[in-house]
Amino acid sequence: MFITKYIKDVYNGVKSLLVGMKRTLYYFTHHKEIITQQYPDNRDTLVLPERFKGEVVMPHDENNEHRCTGCQACELACPNGTIKVIFKNELNAEGKKKKAIDKLVYHLELCTMCNLCIEACPSDAIKMAQTFEHSVFDRNELTKILNNPGSKIMDGVE
Amino acid sequence: MITGSTIIFYLLAALTLTCALLSVSTRQIFRAAIYLLFSLIGIAGIYFWLQYEFIAAVQIVVYVGGIVVLIIFSIFLTQQAGEKLAKQKLDRKIFSALAVFCGFALTMLQVYQHNFNNAATTSAPTVADIGRKMLNVDQEGYALPFEVISMLLLAAMVGCIVIALRSKPETK
Amino acid sequence: MWSFSNIANNLHEWLSNTFNPTMTLIIEMVLAGVAVIGLFAALGLVLVIMERKVSAWMQIRLGPNRVGPKGMLQSLADTLKLLVKEGLTPNGADKFLFNLAPFIAMIVAMLLMAPIAFAKDFQLWDLNIGVLYVSAVSSLMVISILMAGWSSNNKYSLMGAMRSGAQIVSYELSAGLSVLAVVVMTGSLQVSDIIHSQADGWWIFKGHIPMVIAFVTFIIAVTAETNRAPFDLAEAESELTAGFHTEYSGMKFALFFLAEYVNVFIVCAIGATLFLGGWMPFHIGNWTAFNHVMDYIPSSIWFFGKTFFLIFVIMWFRWTFPRLRIDQLLNLEWKYLLPISMINLLIVTAMAILKWHF
Repeated sequence: MFITKYIKDVYNGVKSLLVGMKRTLYYFTHHKEIITQQYPDNRDTLVLPERFKGEVVMPHDENNEHRCTGCQACELACPNGTIKVIFKNELNAEGKKKKAIDKLVYHLELCTMCNLCIEACPSDAIKMAQTFEHSVFDRNELTKILNNPGSKIMDGVE
Repeated sequence: MITGSTIIFYLLAALTLTCALLSVSTRQIFRAAIYLLFSLIGIAGIYFWLQYEFIAAVQIVVYVGGIVVLIIFSIFLTQQAGEKLAKQKLDRKIFSALAVFCGFALTMLQVYQHNFNNAATTSAPTVADIGRKMLNVDQEGYALPFEVISMLLLAAMVGCIVIALRSKPETK
Repeated sequence: MWSFSNIANNLHEWLSNTFNPTMTLIIEMVLAGVAVIGLFAALGLVLVIMERKVSAWMQIRLGPNRVGPKGMLQSLADTLKLLVKEGLTPNGADKFLFNLAPFIAMIVAMLLMAPIAFAKDFQLWDLNIGVLYVSAVSSLMVISILMAGWSSNNKYSLMGAMRSGAQIVSYELSAGLSVLAVVVMTGSLQVSDIIHSQADGWWIFKGHIPMVIAFVTFIIAVTAETNRAPFDLAEAESELTAGFHTEYSGMKFALFFLAEYVNVFIVCAIGATLFLGGWMPFHIGNWTAFNHVMDYIPSSIWFFGKTFFLIFVIMWFRWTFPRLRIDQLLNLEWKYLLPISMINLLIVTAMAILKWHF
């Protein structure tokens, strides 16, 4: 019947609108349950998700040793040339010449935080940090050298 | 004797006439519609000045809110923005000026021959009076003309439906 | 006792004692104009911050919280920004009409202020066709939108203007019919008569269910008439960038923005006057003590309280419902609102004749 369908339509329409309005009224009256992060105010207590990717860093241990062998896998994996590996020759304990990294240059301004370099690294030398306040006044500051000065490769990492 | 009231009247009359003149002389069709609108608003203003608020409000509802909006809509659907209309031929201009003059002369003749009642002797009709007159079937009622005019509207609507139906494909 | 009508009367007496009648009239006109403009500015500031706070709280956010205490001066900062921005006029635009359109929007909003009773005996112009005047002049709102849309010489603007034209012209019908329901009950078009007829109870309570239906259709129709979400097709951001005011910037844009908010205030004031008794306090039958307490609250607070409640309801709509498509919009009006309000008007007329209301 047309007229019963019409009335049912109007009734259902009004009812569904009221359900929506009830929901927003609940939110309006419970504005202590804010879900947004009040970012600059809560810098100290800010908890980022585990998988958040901020920038590439190279962890060093207490003897200033890193795990990078200079295999260039990260440089090859990077889709936009963010990482450059610069080598130097080093003498090892037996007096033999050995290739080692001098600088691992990382261009933060080019990085898209795609995580491909970390996955490519065979010796887990680099990882993603959770820092995100990257803005600087001089662009040169964004070109970073990941290994600490005077650092050398950890023993037993090939 | 110049009072505030006469100054307002002349201002309204000047607005109405200037906009009416601009409306027929401009070559941008949308501007013509807007000038027509201001001219009609000026007339509504004169009704307000005469303190016949009902007529003024109806003037705005019917002419400004209804007819001019329809005109503007048809301009929107048919014309290109920023184009000017072609200049009219001289004989056409002369003919329309003559037609306007004849109409004006007829109106003025009527105005001068009619014996107006003094405004003080008639009271402004209220909305209730107008309603009673409009739906009255007595000697002074307007029920019959009112209904006849609604027949005209019905005919117009039927015409619209017929025009809208024609373009529909016959086959299913 | 301080009240708006006392202040106005004292001012009038003082002016007529100091100046001659013509001078008094001119000064009073200027004062009324200044008061209306001041009210506009105040309303713009208050309603913008209110909208932003309401929207934020409904979406579980904080909203503006940097400028001033709790962000309450945010809209002042926005106004300053808009004032110093450059008002561009596009090259291909019809410059005269392009610059005229925002002013038409403002003038229409100002004209609509005239018959609104802000407090007891405090009204600019109590003309005997008040409600008809409002519905007549509010039909001019569409003109400024059409003008802005056409003269911008921009496809988006034109589309927005046409949508808003179709929308306003169709929703005016059901708004008018629901206003008529109150007029039928009162038997007068005058605003002060309508308010006085609600001394023993507001129409929404006195008129049973038909009046509630009329109130709901009125609120829906005026939401559409003021081009607010969920009926904001004329300026639908995701489809038409900003619709009819795409090309406007700086103060000219601000005038459109202000006119929208003032129009919201005006339609809510009209709704409060017709259905919620304007400045009439809330009275319950024979509870004399309760009624006395209610009378003690100033009439202007009653008026503004009711109006801002309705504004809140319209904002509530905006931040709850998704935008309608144009065919849904026209279906809602022509298939649902219009037949319902017509039948409703018939029932209200029968009620008025048989005196079924309180």
